[in-house]
Amino acid sequence: MNFFAFDWYFIALLLFIGFYAMLASSSIIRQLIGLEIVSKGVMLAVISAGALTNNLQLAQAIVITMIVIEVVVVAAGLALLVKNHRLSGLADIWKLNGLKG
Amino acid sequence: MIYHTLLFSLAVIAAIWAVMARNLLTSAIMLALVSVCASLLLFNFNAPWAAVFELSVCAGLITVLFISGVSLIRASTSTTAEKMTYLKVLPLALGIFGIAAWFYLPPFFAELAGWKYTAAEAGPIGKVLWELRRPDLLGQIAMLAAGVFVIKSVFPKRRTVK
Repeated sequence: MNFFAFDWYFIALLLFIGFYAMLASSSIIRQLIGLEIVSKGVMLAVISAGALTNNLQLAQAIVITMIVIEVVVVAAGLALLVKNHRLSGLADIWKLNGLKG
Repeated sequence: MIYHTLLFSLAVIAAIWAVMARNLLTSAIMLALVSVCASLLLFNFNAPWAAVFELSVCAGLITVLFISGVSLIRASTSTTAEKMTYLKVLPLALGIFGIAAWFYLPPFFAELAGWKYTAAEAGPIGKVLWELRRPDLLGQIAMLAAGVFVIKSVFPKRRTVK
């Protein structure tokens, strides 16, 4: 079997786990963990595609950008979680409307 | 090849563990393990810069953020009251998806890989990052500033009430 096809099969499994976590859980932390797992899968897919097309340097530049964005997204999500927890004592994604101004 | 597959399998197992763990601290640590596996895979793909960033930022900084977030909300009862039934079905769902995907996805991906266009050599990473993708760096700085502003606006300075 093609080496890259095998890699991408595992990446598809990682994406499935991440999306499943985001769909099945109502805890904000678990949602963010699902998002992280999805982004790990996407990152590996980008690098793998870069290795396939002999364009690894460009893929690395894009992945570095993606890592920075990921950190900001996680920090903002956790800030919302802590704020919501301080206001209402909950960490549930469906109870975020307590933050309504 | 075997090392590569082992690392991928370890990443998938750690991801399942991260999603299914009842204790959120365990989840955060397992997510760090997924990051470490991804980083080793990137080293194996011969992408050392992305791997170093992944190891230091994702396995380091994001884990610290998660652990501090979990410890800040630890006293809460809401996290333990969360329904774990759906999450317990994950291995079964993943097994069904994995078996079904085994028949369809690898041939599709092999066909996809056959359409590749090999790129010209783009030069060293420094040249790519600082010359070819310079607008990306501007975007990164804007993104970091946006993150700082989000946190600043979520936690405004407390005003003393007279």
